[in-house]
Amino acid sequence: MSIKLANISKKYGAFSALHDINLRARPGEFLALLGPSGSGKTTLLRIIAGLEFPDRGTVYFNNEDITHLSVAERRIGFVFQQYALFKHMTVAENVGFGLSVRPRRERPPRRAIRARVRELLDLVQLGELGGRLPAQLSGGQRQRVALARALAVDPQLLLLDEPFGALDAKVRKDLRHWLRGFHDRVGLTSIFVTHDQEEALEVADRVVVMSNGAIEQVGTPSEVYDHPANAFVFDFVGESNRVPVIAADGHAIFRGRVLDIEAVGLRGAAELCFRPHDARLGAPGDAGLPATVLLARPREGRVRVQAEIAGVRGAIELDTDQAPEPGQAITIVPTRARLFPAAAAPDAAAA
Amino acid sequence: MPAAALRRAQPGRALLMTLAFGFLALFLVAPLAAVFVEALSKGIAAYGAAVVEPDALAAIKLTLIVAAISVPLNVVFGLAASWAITKFDFPGKSLLITLIDLPFSVSPVVSGLIYVLLFGAQGWLGPWLGAHDVQIIFAVPGIVLATMFITFPFVARELIPLMTEQGRDDEEAALSLGAGGWQTFRRVTLPNVRWALLYGVLLCNARAMGEFGAVSVVSGHIRGKTNTMPLHVEILYNEYNFAAAFAVASLLALLALVTLALKSLLEWRYGVHGKAVR
Repeated sequence: MSIKLANISKKYGAFSALHDINLRARPGEFLALLGPSGSGKTTLLRIIAGLEFPDRGTVYFNNEDITHLSVAERRIGFVFQQYALFKHMTVAENVGFGLSVRPRRERPPRRAIRARVRELLDLVQLGELGGRLPAQLSGGQRQRVALARALAVDPQLLLLDEPFGALDAKVRKDLRHWLRGFHDRVGLTSIFVTHDQEEALEVADRVVVMSNGAIEQVGTPSEVYDHPANAFVFDFVGESNRVPVIAADGHAIFRGRVLDIEAVGLRGAAELCFRPHDARLGAPGDAGLPATVLLARPREGRVRVQAEIAGVRGAIELDTDQAPEPGQAITIVPTRARLFPAAAAPDAAAA
Repeated sequence: MPAAALRRAQPGRALLMTLAFGFLALFLVAPLAAVFVEALSKGIAAYGAAVVEPDALAAIKLTLIVAAISVPLNVVFGLAASWAITKFDFPGKSLLITLIDLPFSVSPVVSGLIYVLLFGAQGWLGPWLGAHDVQIIFAVPGIVLATMFITFPFVARELIPLMTEQGRDDEEAALSLGAGGWQTFRRVTLPNVRWALLYGVLLCNARAMGEFGAVSVVSGHIRGKTNTMPLHVEILYNEYNFAAAFAVASLLALLALVTLALKSLLEWRYGVHGKAVR
């Protein structure tokens, strides 16, 4: 099923949760809504589900305006962050709930419901656990029960709110791979919300980066990682360093030092962004950022150096092969960096 | 070292426990025991006679009727109010929460007087009621109204915190799976709150049967007609008929003990199945 959101806006009192959101999802696509808390991603998901309604704008499913349909009429599967399993029902009763509440005329016979439940539990690899109560399951198992329950009503669209949020790191990683494979097998259009960029980049076909109720960028994982639209996206989708600089004469200039970074179509106060693995320790004469080492620790086969640049807020991180001593003066040479116009008033330290 | 610290704290612990239990024994257990001792002071036969005496039986019957009407109505109200407060956002929500607590903060006598003022012969609606031959004050309807007012908060007060804690996810999940409002209530919400509801019903019932002040104002104390058990106890006591007074009182005390036992049982179930139930 294809989805189109046109000019969606939503306010809670004076707080603008979403403003003017436009977004499309292709049939069978796996979309991630990525953003910090308060960015409006969950509100957007709930609007697509029909659990919230926008103040303005239109929601289309398959080019049909369904903005005013209730959640029950939209035929979607929704998986809640805390799973929202019915605690007094067994796993099988939970999964069969959607079928058992249908009006008598449309309700499948009891035996058909049982068969369908069985089939779904096999699909999520919980075939033997139908008789258990949710409290007797692990977090990952509960998550899959919630998924099976959502699928029982044959939804055209699967919506997941922070599907891995309540799990520990190891299970989270396993379930992530499993969910991606599951999506491809089932072939539904799916949208999930996450604040974890690694999760979004690893699982989704396309990532929608959001902040402050607006979409910052929509793109494939490599597009948002390698070609972020702005400093926010750069910062949010991976580890990053941000240094205020001046863009002049086609180059980035840091306190009079002309860096080997081209500034195309940019003048004045700017922000130099680079990832820790896209920088090296320079020789004393190199054009780079003068810094003092705070800390050097081994990390994934290399050395993670934390350094500070006098007058620049926050520590700068880079990965090197040899460990400098704390207190040592170094020159950081970004090998791959992006320049963005300074977001707010130009930082005095850049001059 | 924690063990040593604990040992040093022992005398203090013993003192606190002695104090707590001594206090309970003096002010709770002793009076309760006294009720039963006094009730049986003239023998089992006198006790039995006091309980099955027609006026006593009428009082018991009236008490049961009042509870049978007011408790179910309060259950409906409590569920509706808690549902509205915890599952929806609407203007006037905090006002509703405050109003639910009103009967707790008002003296029961005042609660009774409110109804006399409204429905009494000299009250606002008195003339109209009189013209249509409807008696509310000094009759059963007044007693039921006063009892309902007093017991208003019990069910809602139990449910609101629990339902707030449980949030709306379960209901939204049910709706997203195609369940209607009534199905969601019956199959998801009600099972989620059943123990708290039962607990609220118990407390509500105990209060409905035991309420004195408000009922006393609206009842009119007509023997065999508008006397509930607590009122009957008072009348017997004022007539220096102590054994009979305490015999009827012992029934109320028994009710309290049964309520307490059921409450403990529920708490135990809450505790054991807390994770599964809540």
